[in-house]
Amino acid sequence: MSAMPEPAQRLAPAARWAWRLSWAGGCVVAMVVLAMAGRGLPGSWQTAGMIVLAVALLAGTPLVPELRWRRWRWEVREHEIDLQRGIIVVRRTLIPMARVQHVETERGLIGQALGLATVEIHTAAGSHEIPLLTDFDAGMLRSRIAELARTDDG
Amino acid sequence: MGERLHPAAIAVYAADALRQGAFPLLVILGASVFGGGFDADAALRAGMFALIGTAMAALAGGFRWSTTRYSLAGETIRLREGMFSVKEVEIPFTRVQAIDVEQGPIQRLFGVHKVQVQTGGGGVGGELVLGAVDEAEVERIRALVGRQVPATAQDAPPAPERRLSGRRLALAAATSGQLTVLLPVVAAIAQMGQQLFDDPVQGERTLVGALPDGAAGWALVATGLLVLAWLLAALGTIIGFGGFAVRRESDELRIRRGLLQRRQVTLRVGRVRAVRVIESPPRQPLGLATLRVEVIGFAKEQAAAQTLFPLLRREEVEPFLHELLPELADGLDGLERPPRRALRRYALPPLAPTAVAAAALAIAAGSPWPLLLAPLGAAYGTLRFRAAGWRLEGGRLAVRSRSLARSTVLAPAAGRESHDLAQTALQRRARLADVAVAFGKGTVAGVRHLDADVARALWVAIGPR
Repeated sequence: MSAMPEPAQRLAPAARWAWRLSWAGGCVVAMVVLAMAGRGLPGSWQTAGMIVLAVALLAGTPLVPELRWRRWRWEVREHEIDLQRGIIVVRRTLIPMARVQHVETERGLIGQALGLATVEIHTAAGSHEIPLLTDFDAGMLRSRIAELARTDDG
Repeated sequence: MGERLHPAAIAVYAADALRQGAFPLLVILGASVFGGGFDADAALRAGMFALIGTAMAALAGGFRWSTTRYSLAGETIRLREGMFSVKEVEIPFTRVQAIDVEQGPIQRLFGVHKVQVQTGGGGVGGELVLGAVDEAEVERIRALVGRQVPATAQDAPPAPERRLSGRRLALAAATSGQLTVLLPVVAAIAQMGQQLFDDPVQGERTLVGALPDGAAGWALVATGLLVLAWLLAALGTIIGFGGFAVRRESDELRIRRGLLQRRQVTLRVGRVRAVRVIESPPRQPLGLATLRVEVIGFAKEQAAAQTLFPLLRREEVEPFLHELLPELADGLDGLERPPRRALRRYALPPLAPTAVAAAALAIAAGSPWPLLLAPLGAAYGTLRFRAAGWRLEGGRLAVRSRSLARSTVLAPAAGRESHDLAQTALQRRARLADVAVAFGKGTVAGVRHLDADVARALWVAIGPR
């Protein structure tokens, strides 16, 4: 086990703001949908749903992004990419550098506003993400992975 | 630039054009027949249309043939098609993943072949298609593109080959149905139910009209549908896998199959990442299995294209692999199992939906009999528990799991695309964890609920290199 220390790098601190925004936004949208579509439901169901969503909004917004951010670790080494994330399901993934086909960076709407970008790593079996790094770090990481993937032929 | 295709391509392209134009032609034909009643006049008109259509298709075919050129110079295969809108494809030899050779009815008539060159792009069909080339040209293309080093006939040992015997084909056809045979029956019942829901009064009337008389009638209808579905599946297997043969030649596997449409696929062994041994429900009790391969860049091809052999006895699998694909050969048995305490984690999750469904049925039917269905989920979960297993020895990974069919993935761990170690909050308390190893889009070898320390040790052992 000592052969595999936990990955050391964290996401950008501002990632928490991106998640807070999207969590709160999701809760509000769900409340609006419930308010509009809820007329068909019995009144008590609608109230119960509203309470659940309100709790999610008030308690989840500060809590969930913080936990997520603390759990998310990554590290790019010479021969592999090491990811660890998840609050309820903790998942650790190892991607051999030789299997990386291409790397992309992508910025969503919230990322745009906060200057954050997501690095997407594609292999023949699917893709993996390192979300919400600062623009600069994401760009550097993309070139670094691309360079390492080119030189490491397994 | 380059060479023309075999003139038989004119016929091939004409047939293509005719096929594309067939639908409007049929509409015109239908309109003229039904519009004016079928008399000698209409027959004449229809015949004229057919003749004109065929002539135009032949012209189009000829034009397409005369504007199509290909070449194999400079380590690159090139194709140029068309005059008004020109399409050019270039594929460096090193990027070619597979060369498929296929003979449709028209190609067979002229004794030529259709060659499809596959790249890693993974789209369906070849990225570059030569409609008609003769036997000698196929061999030349193979020699140039498919193999960098031409094999010398003298010192090469006889290439191992396995054919699917007629008996095995019949057995494969008879057991091909799986559970999909139940689908049409379920769909028919669901549709009747739907009618009843949509318009109870009218629906009931049509339903009652359509209902067979009594239980015997119902049983008859259900049996009939099952037999029909089973026959269709069997027929599909015979057409798809008739004359199946696989042959190993140096670093390539050549697979031929198909009764009506002869298809030939060439796979580079280096591109084969994993073998899947699939024991579907009708086959497993008979000790039979199907071999599939996970080939990089092949994920979107139909399942038949990934079949290494349609039917083997379970005990024949390992010798078969040692002969044809020793790079991936491994035993199917002697796997490590998840601990006993994991059993309820396999059994409980599928139990919940079947228990709920059984209760709902019992209430709806007002009878306790449907409750007998409740434990089905637990039985399924227990079967999954009994199937789960893994082994990592000398860098070779074997992982067995079950969804409906039991499937064993055999692969060198170094060929993986990525691998995961995962633990839910509940698993953390029980000291259990999951391991999943991805070998391609179609193959993820996973074992759930291993002892956490074992899972971690396995994950590390597959680890960095």
